[in-house]
Amino acid sequence: MRSASMFSYNLSLAIQSFKRAPTLYFLIMLTLSIGVGVLCANLALVNSMASNPIPEKSDTLIHISMNTWPEDNPPDEQPLYILRYRDAMKISESGIGIRSAVFYASGVYARDAESKSMKRFDSAVRATTPGFFKLSNAPFAYGSAFEKSHGMEIVIGDELNQKIFAGENSVGKVLELDGELLTIVGVLKPWTLRPLFYHATDGHAFSLTDDIYAPLETAMDLNWSIHARSSSTDNYTHVAQTRDRDVYYLQAWLELPSSNDRQALQSYLDNYSKSLKVAGQHPLAIRNELHDVTEWLVVNKVVDHKILAFTLASILFLFVCVFNASSLLLSRFHAAKFEVGLRRALGASNRHMLMQGLTESVLLGLFTGIVSLLLSWLFLKLSVSFLPDLANIAILEPKVLLLGMLIALLTSVASALYPLYRANRYTISAELK
Amino acid sequence: MLKMNNISRIYQTDTIQTHALRDFSLNVKAGEFVAVTGPSGSGKSTFLNVAGLLDNFDRGQYELDGVSVQGLKDDELSRLRNEKIGFIFQNYNLIPDYSIFDNVDMPLRYRGFNARERKRRVEEALEKVGLASRLKYLPSQLSGGQQQRVAIARALAGEPKILLADEPTGNLDSLMARQVMEILHDLNKGGATIIMVTHDPDQAREVSRNVQVIDGQLADFRIYAPLERAEGNTEKTAVVSAEVADA
Repeated sequence: MRSASMFSYNLSLAIQSFKRAPTLYFLIMLTLSIGVGVLCANLALVNSMASNPIPEKSDTLIHISMNTWPEDNPPDEQPLYILRYRDAMKISESGIGIRSAVFYASGVYARDAESKSMKRFDSAVRATTPGFFKLSNAPFAYGSAFEKSHGMEIVIGDELNQKIFAGENSVGKVLELDGELLTIVGVLKPWTLRPLFYHATDGHAFSLTDDIYAPLETAMDLNWSIHARSSSTDNYTHVAQTRDRDVYYLQAWLELPSSNDRQALQSYLDNYSKSLKVAGQHPLAIRNELHDVTEWLVVNKVVDHKILAFTLASILFLFVCVFNASSLLLSRFHAAKFEVGLRRALGASNRHMLMQGLTESVLLGLFTGIVSLLLSWLFLKLSVSFLPDLANIAILEPKVLLLGMLIALLTSVASALYPLYRANRYTISAELK
Repeated sequence: MLKMNNISRIYQTDTIQTHALRDFSLNVKAGEFVAVTGPSGSGKSTFLNVAGLLDNFDRGQYELDGVSVQGLKDDELSRLRNEKIGFIFQNYNLIPDYSIFDNVDMPLRYRGFNARERKRRVEEALEKVGLASRLKYLPSQLSGGQQQRVAIARALAGEPKILLADEPTGNLDSLMARQVMEILHDLNKGGATIIMVTHDPDQAREVSRNVQVIDGQLADFRIYAPLERAEGNTEKTAVVSAEVADA
């Protein structure tokens, strides 16, 4: 009760103090807010880049890279993160792991087959085996996944469903995709994967999830073109021809029962490569690499080192801001030296004065936090207007907002520590002079 | 009430050592009204600061209302100041943007009284100095004499054992000074122990005992009026006299 009353008294003193020197406190708040705001904006970018998009099983989802290149003049990168059809299918059908996903990115123009309008929507396609949905925890709003890699069935994303069907349950409806009619069997909820772990390569780490998910074999048979990196030693005129040719374009992921099962997968791949080598189809040294989600994002340098460097610079900048705020507070506390002395003379202890100072700095920190977060939002908006690529990662998530508020509080308290120490260092008689 | 034995206070800079108090001894009984006089720079204010626990001392023993202050921690010293001492400063030392009520209320906040008790004490203290109707005024809306009366009310509100007044009439004209002195005498008659630093020999003559400080030492004392309330004061006088002789 007594401490609550003292706290409310300290709070009223803090407000009175702000009223006495509003310009000075505004400057202190602005100084700290700019520092915290810049740091917070950077942290928002780093948070988006460095966050784990599927924490519940990121260590059991494994991306597979192999170097089954058929000639001894491989492309620069070895092993390749894209596989040819027969290698990918061999792994997919091996029975290792709980489920697998083999896919490539494509694109089509989509329209409602029953609509009189001829308006078509340019749509990103993921041509994939059915395991993709459970493997990636794709959230369904309506319907379910297709069950086979063949069939004229598709799953569509929320954004396309909004555009064509105004968000209604469109299961059973038919889309015309590049002239072919495919039936919708599932509609996803709004789904954000940041980073897009299953396609973190080729600068797609912060792309949106796809508009259409189509069975892999169907997409190949319909000759839906490959919209991602491919390398080949054979020519082809139709995607279906890639099944038995040396065309590398498919990405393969496996979900293992536990992270301890990686060795079994490694052995399986190595044995498979050895069998190719024995058959004279593996001229390069055997090198199969497995990466879980976190490792895969690191390998693909998803966190931009320039952003990290800028974050470090913004931390240093924040130190400068704290130093400046501290100098301003020092002048304020110096001006209040007499009152500090008077309060101590009348019975306030150093602890009382420290609590009064801390209450003031925490209150200042709260105001600073609010302004900082507004500024960081503004900084991110500005960043996106100059660098549109940042649009999908320039997002202030709740944990970043919370962190920003915490940093504002800490910097505000840190700024006040030295002035508080100085204010209570002298004898009371000296303060009263 | 207040016992100082061989108190020394030395201010030290890189090159100069100043003995503000030198083996200073004084014993003040409950109910006494002691005037401390002496030339500027003699150590009067240092004595008052040490007595009020506003400054440290380097040597000697100091006992306030039976509590030895040596080795006390900041929290304990603050509590002593808050509960046992009431300060009246020459410059009133009121906070200009606080109302009269809030100024008088300030020391009570650190005592931890609840709002009702604080209100009662503030109103009673202001009643005693005749300013009960000015609760919401700001110090700048009062005359110098009234401001000093507010300062006296602030000192009284905590019901301290001893009042320490540092030239309480130094900034007042003679009429207002008279009013303030009357209040202090009334308080003393009511049992308050008061130690007052003053330059005014007339004021010094009005009180029960005048102590003169020169060069940080007790140089002289006089008793101007019999003390009814300070029992055994004659004996005390002898002690002080002996200390002065030793010095």
